[in-house]
Amino acid sequence: MEIDGETNEDNSRRIQVRFVTKLKAPYKVPTTAIAIPSDLSRLGLSSIVNKLLQAVDSEWKTEPFDFLINGELVRMSLEQFLLAKGISAEKILEIEYIRAVAPRKEEQPSPHDDWVSAVDGSSPTFILTGCYDGLGRVWKEAGLCTHILEGHSDAISSVSIINSEALGSVTVATASKDRTLRLWKFDAEDSNDHPAMIRAFKILRGHNASVHSVAAKTSGDMVCSGSWDCTINLWRTNDSDTDGDVVSIKKRKVNSKAEQSQSEGEAVSMLVGHTQCVSSVVWPQHETIFSASWDHSVRQWDVETGKDLSDIFCGKVLNSIDVGGEGSALIAAGGSDPILRIWDPRKPGTSAPVFQFCSHSSWISACKWHDRSSFYLLSSSYDGKVMLWDLRTAWPLSVLDTHKDRVLCADWWKGDCVVSGGVDAQLLICSDISIP
Amino acid sequence: MNHQESQRPEKVNPLEMRDLGFIESGNNDGLDDNHEQDELADSSQSHQAVDESDSSEDEVAPRNTIGDVPLEWYKDEKHIGYDIAGKKIKKKERQDKLDSFLASADDSKNWRKIYDEYNDEEVELTKEETKLIRRLLKGKAPHAEFDPYAPYVDWFKWDDAKHPLSNAPEPKRRFIPSKWESKKVVEYVRAIRKGLIKFDKPKEEPRLYLLWGDDSSSADRTKHLAYIPPPKPKLPGHEESYNPSLEYLPTQEEINTYQLMYEEDRPKFIPKRFTSIRSIPAYENAIKDSFERCLDLYLCPRVRKKRINIDPESLKPKLPSRKDLRPYPVTCYLEYRGHEGAVLSISVEPSGQWIASGSKDGTVRIWEVETGRCLRVWEIGEAVQHVAWNPLPELPILAVSAGSDVLILNTGFGNEEQQRKIKELLQIGTPTSSDDSDNISSVLSWHQDEKHDCIRLRHFRTVSSIEWHRKGDYLSTVMPAGESKAILMHQLSKKLTQRLPFKLHGLPVSSVFHPTRSIFFVATKKNVRVYDLLRQKLIKKLETQLREVSSIAVHPAGDNVIVGSKEGKLCWFDMDLSSKPYKTLKCHPKDITNVAFHRSYPLFASCSDDCTAYVFHGMVYADLNQNPLIVPLEILRGHTSSDGRGVIDCKFHPRQPWLFTAGADSSIKLYCH
Repeated sequence: MEIDGETNEDNSRRIQVRFVTKLKAPYKVPTTAIAIPSDLSRLGLSSIVNKLLQAVDSEWKTEPFDFLINGELVRMSLEQFLLAKGISAEKILEIEYIRAVAPRKEEQPSPHDDWVSAVDGSSPTFILTGCYDGLGRVWKEAGLCTHILEGHSDAISSVSIINSEALGSVTVATASKDRTLRLWKFDAEDSNDHPAMIRAFKILRGHNASVHSVAAKTSGDMVCSGSWDCTINLWRTNDSDTDGDVVSIKKRKVNSKAEQSQSEGEAVSMLVGHTQCVSSVVWPQHETIFSASWDHSVRQWDVETGKDLSDIFCGKVLNSIDVGGEGSALIAAGGSDPILRIWDPRKPGTSAPVFQFCSHSSWISACKWHDRSSFYLLSSSYDGKVMLWDLRTAWPLSVLDTHKDRVLCADWWKGDCVVSGGVDAQLLICSDISIP
Repeated sequence: MNHQESQRPEKVNPLEMRDLGFIESGNNDGLDDNHEQDELADSSQSHQAVDESDSSEDEVAPRNTIGDVPLEWYKDEKHIGYDIAGKKIKKKERQDKLDSFLASADDSKNWRKIYDEYNDEEVELTKEETKLIRRLLKGKAPHAEFDPYAPYVDWFKWDDAKHPLSNAPEPKRRFIPSKWESKKVVEYVRAIRKGLIKFDKPKEEPRLYLLWGDDSSSADRTKHLAYIPPPKPKLPGHEESYNPSLEYLPTQEEINTYQLMYEEDRPKFIPKRFTSIRSIPAYENAIKDSFERCLDLYLCPRVRKKRINIDPESLKPKLPSRKDLRPYPVTCYLEYRGHEGAVLSISVEPSGQWIASGSKDGTVRIWEVETGRCLRVWEIGEAVQHVAWNPLPELPILAVSAGSDVLILNTGFGNEEQQRKIKELLQIGTPTSSDDSDNISSVLSWHQDEKHDCIRLRHFRTVSSIEWHRKGDYLSTVMPAGESKAILMHQLSKKLTQRLPFKLHGLPVSSVFHPTRSIFFVATKKNVRVYDLLRQKLIKKLETQLREVSSIAVHPAGDNVIVGSKEGKLCWFDMDLSSKPYKTLKCHPKDITNVAFHRSYPLFASCSDDCTAYVFHGMVYADLNQNPLIVPLEILRGHTSSDGRGVIDCKFHPRQPWLFTAGADSSIKLYCH
C-alpha cells in the first residue's frame, strides 16, 4: 500500500515495514505492510504514522511518536539502524511505535525569591519545593503557591513528602543547612488566594553540620537524613509518642504566632560509615536505605542492624542517587562529572555500572526514576538541562533546556510532568509527557 | 704360434717366458684342449684370480738368485742356484715320466701343473693364468680388459677443412728445449745480475690531480690514524665571474649599506663586471687571502667531533603514564562568580564545604563549593590580599589581610556551641597590649572591630600573607617591608603578639608552618630559611638559586617543599637530600603566583600569570632511599588575562582531587577529576 502523503520519489531503497503498537484505539494504524524509504529517521516515521492516522480519522492532531525495533529505540536513519543491528531489510520489518516521551506543554514558571534547591513531586496533588531563602513552598499547580513553610534559618537543601495519602493533612520533611530537619503538617486541600504560612510541628536536631538530604520511609513513620557530618540519622515522624514534646513552646519562638506547639526530636539511630558528606539518601524499601556520598561510594544500609550491606565505589563525588527501574533494584547516581551511572546491585561483583549516560556537559545535580515505568529516568545538570532517559537507548529521549542557569533539582510529578528548579529561582513544570 | 710368442718379449716377465718355454716343450697337448665349459664356469672368478696372481708375483721374490743366466750352466750341478743368503738351493728329485703320467691320469688337474726350471719347483697354474695363456694362444691381447678396438679420438680440429693439414705425428722438436730460448734466458740472467733490469720501479706521481676533490677520500691521507681534512674554501660561484649576470651585481645603495655594516658582517667579495678578461685587474687581496688561509690551516686547532647517535626519545626519563596517576583535576565544571575585581586569594574550609575568597574589590566572600552559591559577603573596604581559614573544623573563623590590617572574621558557621566559643574568642577584654614590650605595641595593636564583629590587628606595614598554625591558635603575618619585625606571630587565645626572634636576610615573601612539627619556613626573595621554633634556631637554609621567590608550600609529610618563583620556575626541595633543589621545573612562561600541595592525594599545582595552572603528580615515598617522583599531569586553562595578571591563587580541595583557581578575571574556577 502506497501512502498518498509520501512525496519523495527518489530512487532510495525501500523497506517493507509494518507498524504495530500497544496503544489503544485512536492510536492504532492498519497493520498492513507498507514500503517506505530506508533513509527515514524518527521524524519521518512519525509523520508517516500521523498520516496513516489521519487517513483513518480526519480530525487527527499530529502527535510525535517514538519507534522501537526489536525493543530498541530508533535514533538514526532506518538504514543505519538496520546496518548497525544487522537486521535483514528483505523481510517485513515490524516497527512498534509508542507516543514520544517528550513534554508537549510547558507551564508558566513559578517564581521563587531565591535559588530553588529541592523539589519533591511524589504527591499528585501538589509540588513541594525548598528554596535558598529558607522557605519551603507548596504549589498546587504552576504559579499557584498554597502554603509557605517558614522556620528554617538557612537554605533548605532537601525536601521530602512523608505521607501524601493521609486525608486532610499532609506531612512533609525539610532538611536545611542550619543543621536541622523540620517536619510540617498542612492541609493540601485548602486553598485561598494568599499562601498560608505554616510552622513546623517538629524540629529534628542532632546533625553537627548542614543536612544535605532527607528521605522518608515508605510507611511514613520515619525519615532518614544525610549530612555534612558524614552520618545518616534516622528520625521518627509521629509527634505524639515522643517524650521530648513536653517542652513544646520553645524560647526560640520569637513569632507571635506561637500557639502551635513545636516539639523537638532526637535521632533514633545513626548510621556511621561514610567518610565524607552524605549527599543523598533514598529509602525505597522497608528496611533498606541507599546513600551516596562525597567519598565516592554508594552504600546500602540495613535499618534494623545499622550495618552497611554493600558498597559501590565509583571514583567520583556523588550528588544524587535514586533507586528504581526494573524490579526497583537499579541504582542511578550522578555526581561531579557529566556521566549518569546506573548500577545493578543484584549482579555479583558490581563495581562497573551497567549503564552510563554521557550527554550532559557538567555535574549532575539530580536523577530520578519514573515510578511506574522501569525504563525511564530523568537527570538534571549544572549545564542547565534536564534530560529524559530511556534505558533502551544511549541518547536522551528529550532535553529540556528552559532553565537559564544551573538546575539544582528535578523530579517527576503526576507521572507525566517534570518539575525542576534551579539557580534562576524558578520552578518549571513541563507537562503532558506520555510515559507508556 | 711360436712367432706370436716371440713378438712380445718385453710384455711377458721372465717367469712367464720360462713358463711359456715350458709349455712349448712339455704340456703342449694338454693346453690345446680347449675346455669351453671350464672357461665359462670360472669366468666369474677370473678377476679375483688375476688380482691374487699379480700380488703373489709382486710379493714372492724369486728364491733363486742366479739371475738371467742360461740354466744349462747348472744342468749338471746338484743345485740350481743360490738363495738370498747365498746358500745353495738343492735340486729336487725329479719325477720320472711314468710318475708324471700316472699323476696326470689320477689327477684331472695335473695338466695345470708345470715345472719351473729356474726355481726347481712345480707350479700349479691358476685359472686366470690359463685363461691368459689361452688368449695369447688365440693371438688376442693377454688381458681381457684391453680393448683393441677403442674408439678413435681425433686430435685434429676439423674447423673448415675437409682433410687434415697434416696427419703427421708431432715432430720431435716440439719436445726438445729450445736452444735460442735458453740463450735468451742466460742473457736476462746476466742483465739482472749486472743490474740492468730492476723489478720495483718507483711509482710515478700523477702530474694532475683534482684540486677541489674530496681530500678525505684520498687513500694516502686516510692511511693516517687521526687525519683531519682541512676545511675547504668555498667554491667559486657565478657571482665571482668577471662578467656575472646582472642579478649578482649589487646596486650602489647596497654597496653603501655594506659600508655601514660591521667588518665581519660585510660580504667579502663584491661582484664586479668587466667587459673582457683583459680588463680584469690583479686581485688585490691575493696574498692576504692566501696568508689567511694558511693561517687558518695552521692555527686553527681541528678536533675530530665525536657524534653519538642517540635517539632523543630515549633520553627522556621514564615516567609513568598519566592514566595510572588518576585522579587529578582535569575539567572545569563550576565557576564562582560575583567578585568585581581580581580575586587575590582563596582558602578552602578544612571540611571542603565552603571556600573563602578575597578580592581586589575589597570584599571577602564565602561560597558553597557544591553549588557555587555565594553565602556571605564582607565589605572590607580595601583590597583583600590574603584569606585563610582556621585549620580547625570546629573553629570556622577566617583571617583576612587587607592593607595593613588583619581581620579575624566569624563566618557564622558551626553549631551554637561552636558559635558561642568563637564569640568568646573574638572578644578583646581589655585593649591593653602595652604591657608587652614596647616595640611590639608600636608595631601592632589589637582592636575590636564593631562593623564586622571581629578582631582587627593593625600592623604598621602592609601585610602580604597570613598563615595559621595547624592547631588554630597561632597565626603568622608577613610584612615584606617590616624589616626586623617583618614576621609576627599572633596568639589568638591570649591576644598576644610576638616578633620572630631571628634575623632575616632579605625581604620575606611568605611563611609556612611545618604540618606536624614546630618548624617554621620563611621564604625570602632568594632563599628559604627553616627555623625550629622550640629551640629558636635556624635549622637549614634552602638555596633556591632563583631570582625572586613568590610562593612556598610544604608537603603534608613536611620533608618536601616547593617554591615558585617570579621567573616561572618551580623548585622542589627534598630536605633530606640537600639544600639545593631536587628538581627545578621551568614550565610557566610568566611569573608563578602560587603553589599548592594536596593534603592527601600526591598532587601539587602551580598557577601563573600566563593564565594557566599546572597540576603535577608529586609522590613522596616512605622509603628514604627512593627519591620523590614528579610527573607533570595537566595544564588547566580557562582564565583570561586582566591587567597582565592571570591566575593569582590556587588551592586544592582538602578531600577531593579538585583544584580551585582564582583569576584576575574576577572568577574562581573549580577543576574536577
